[in-house]
Amino acid sequence: MLTTKITKGYKKWLIALFVLLLAGGAVIWWVFNLKYADTADVKADYTVNAVDFIKEFRTDMAAANKKYSEKIIIVNGTVSEIEMADTTANIKMIDTTANDAYVIFAFQQQHVAEAKAMRKGDKVSIKGSCSNGLFSDILETEYITFKRCAVNK
Amino acid sequence: MKKTILSLALVLATGLLFAQKKTTTSATISFDATTSLDKFPKADNKTVIASLDTKNGKLAFEATIKSFTFSNPKIQEHFNSTGWMDSDKFPTATFKGVIKDGKKVSYTKDGVYDVTVSGDLTIHGVTKPVEAQATITVSGGVIKTTSEFTIKLEDYGVNGGAIAAGKVAKEPKITVAADF
Repeated sequence: MLTTKITKGYKKWLIALFVLLLAGGAVIWWVFNLKYADTADVKADYTVNAVDFIKEFRTDMAAANKKYSEKIIIVNGTVSEIEMADTTANIKMIDTTANDAYVIFAFQQQHVAEAKAMRKGDKVSIKGSCSNGLFSDILETEYITFKRCAVNK
Repeated sequence: MKKTILSLALVLATGLLFAQKKTTTSATISFDATTSLDKFPKADNKTVIASLDTKNGKLAFEATIKSFTFSNPKIQEHFNSTGWMDSDKFPTATFKGVIKDGKKVSYTKDGVYDVTVSGDLTIHGVTKPVEAQATITVSGGVIKTTSEFTIKLEDYGVNGGAIAAGKVAKEPKITVAADF
């Protein structure tokens, strides 16, 4: 009688442990297999005009970084330069009235062709993850970098 | 009069074409800290600012830490957290140095040159002297610079359980490339 009770209790703990291990394994598998969504399908937190956006960073870098860093933002503006970066292309929007401060967009792999198709002077709408804004000691101006970008459609 | 204006324009254009300090805002830096236990800790940054002075061989890079892109959002989050790169406190990694044997490079003639670069690398607020081999390729007026080297994370105060557990390499491989 006592032996049966002990065996039943032992089995319960064994099943609980197995379930816990299974759940833990599932969580680890899920975390390790997380991937960024296609930015084209992600809802934007803000929509801004490039010149006003640069001005906001130049006015108060800390406040702008707090507001925009790691947020998904749609930036509307004119292409100033297309720069090749390795096998990809970056799009730049420069404010020539503000010491050549600029915003630069690195595209998500599946959207690199969209960047390569752009031309200087094109009016475009780009959606991406804002890294942050900083002052460059090399260029002696402010710049804002974006990653995982796509054309906003 | 016309000849004078034309000559001045030509001199100005030539000066701009062969300007000594060349810059780019699309240099790339990749790092690979993968191990046999973990294939995820690798990332690249394609919006790095770089400059090269062809007269004195001075070379500089500025990389925004938050612009390093990982495939996995959780790893990107950890990378930027206070326990790792603490990117809010230390938003950039920088290099300021010089091509030691820069005199053997001709920036106006096509060719491939193996050089040694030395200078100060600042990561996570810690500055250390480094020296690495680099290749400079001059082709059709474009100067391509590339270098591969390793760093010891602990030298820069980057420590973590994942390094001790063998999930992040103690000495990740860094690859730098810039076209001027």
